[in-house]
Amino acid sequence: MDITREQIDHLAELSDFKLEEAEKESLRGDLENIIKYISELDSLDTEGIEPTYQVFEMENVWREDEILPQDADREKLLKTAPAFHGKEGVEDYQIKVPKVL
Amino acid sequence: MKYEITIGIECHVQLKTKTKLFSEVDNDAREKEPNSCVSPVDYALPGVLPRLNKEAVSLAVRAGYALNSEINLYSRFDRKHYYYPDLPKGYQISQFYHPIIGAGFIELPNGTKVRIEHAHMEEDAGKLTHFSNYSLVDLNRAGTPLIEIVSMPDIHSATDARDYCKELWRAMTYAGVTYGDLYNGNMRFDVNISLAPEGAKELGRRAEIKNLNSFRSVERAVEYEYERQSKILDAGERVKQETRGWNDATGKTTSQRSKEEAQDYRYMPEPDIPPIRLTPEFVKEEQAKVGLLPRDYRKMFKGIIQDDILEVLLDYQPLMDCLWQCAGGSFEGPKTRPSGPERPEKELPDIAKSHLKRIANWFSSVLLAEEKSYEMLNDLPSSKQLDDLAEMTEKQELSSTGAKEVFTKLFDPQMKNKGAKDIAKELNVLQENDTGALEKIVDEVLSDPACAKAVADYKAGQEKVLGFLVGQVMKASKGKANPGAAQQILKNKLK
Repeated sequence: MDITREQIDHLAELSDFKLEEAEKESLRGDLENIIKYISELDSLDTEGIEPTYQVFEMENVWREDEILPQDADREKLLKTAPAFHGKEGVEDYQIKVPKVL
Repeated sequence: MKYEITIGIECHVQLKTKTKLFSEVDNDAREKEPNSCVSPVDYALPGVLPRLNKEAVSLAVRAGYALNSEINLYSRFDRKHYYYPDLPKGYQISQFYHPIIGAGFIELPNGTKVRIEHAHMEEDAGKLTHFSNYSLVDLNRAGTPLIEIVSMPDIHSATDARDYCKELWRAMTYAGVTYGDLYNGNMRFDVNISLAPEGAKELGRRAEIKNLNSFRSVERAVEYEYERQSKILDAGERVKQETRGWNDATGKTTSQRSKEEAQDYRYMPEPDIPPIRLTPEFVKEEQAKVGLLPRDYRKMFKGIIQDDILEVLLDYQPLMDCLWQCAGGSFEGPKTRPSGPERPEKELPDIAKSHLKRIANWFSSVLLAEEKSYEMLNDLPSSKQLDDLAEMTEKQELSSTGAKEVFTKLFDPQMKNKGAKDIAKELNVLQENDTGALEKIVDEVLSDPACAKAVADYKAGQEKVLGFLVGQVMKASKGKANPGAAQQILKNKLK
């Protein structure tokens, strides 16, 4: 299956990536190879076979509704963000991102 | 031209679990500092594994019951991809292919049935606050369990749109699956609106008004869109298919982003969460925990309580529960299904019906008129107190004014533990019904020289003066005489 430049642009837009022209061409080639590799599966006859949604045949893996202490607290988690506000009035403890909307 | 409006509504309901849908942190972020109810799962740190909250499944099953829906015994989760800062994973875990709640319906007070297409479980996103050159993200709400209820396009007016949203709110709060606090966004409505010339077979292109959080704003947004889209169509143009926002202050909708390019969510099965397979027993058990719903109360009180009063009272579940107890029902426990005359299969005796009607009237005209009625709803009088009050009024031991006075005192912290009769005595509002005693008072009035002229006038055919004489009896009895009885005795004596 061929991957077009338009598809690369579309995917980049969906993921909010800004790509250089050279990157687009190289990504297009990479993606095409990956799809080609995966497409070998298309040679199998899957007529009448239920799709596999998950490989472990587990069901109803759920937990009780109880609050548990977490390994990471707010400060630790905030530090994983590229930018955040510390204790600064009404904007306390929030992750800072480029303006959206 | 005249257009027919077609409306479909998606409603997000936050479930009132203790923890989030996939992480074990506090789900109640009200009055909490930003990002204080978060876990590595909500941050989507690499290597984390979401774990499904069983209580959310239970609540979804109960919600399905309130929606008259089939529960799909098999359901599973999918990833819905979109890139936005309120969603650190880059995808939302939702149910696209196999939702837990199947087709159902909601019946509006006017009898219109709005079909439910399905309802699915998903996680809420975080909260964004926008500033001039940056935005801030609070992930306290990210991961809150939601069910999204998707209606069929069965709604054709602004009032039906409002009523549908309200009825959903009632059904969800009565079923106990959400706190239903609209101000805090516990329920949010996305309204799809399209217009087509009357009689047209095809629907017009639709605009979606996102994130409405009150019944009134749903109604107003639909009214506004009808006007806006009519003008576009009248001018021979086409309505743009787009997402619009509602501004409550201006009363207008404005374009947010156009959907020229269809959204590409790239749904795929969620590999981290194994499917849900429920047993019919589990479904039955969960649904048995749902108390009486608005539809049960309507069935029960129709023809007993006046329709418009019943509709007002249905906004207040504690009042309906109380009326139900007055009708002889009881509750076996806070979370169990109530027992008693749930369905009026056993017809209530007339006297009970008449009592219920009186009590409902006091609720609507006295209690709900109180400034602090909201607080009073938390501590309602007992069914015995209310029933006694209704009976005293029925027997004319109390005037309607006296009854209202006693009713109000049933909420007074100083008096509310007393019986209705004791309060009436204390307030000195019991009417004199004892015929012997009344006759004595009437005799006194009739022999009073000051009344001689009135008596003569009455006997001469001037029936109007009877009112004056009744007034004299009331005065002599210090207001305790039953005016109806006094009038009857006067008439008899003056024959």
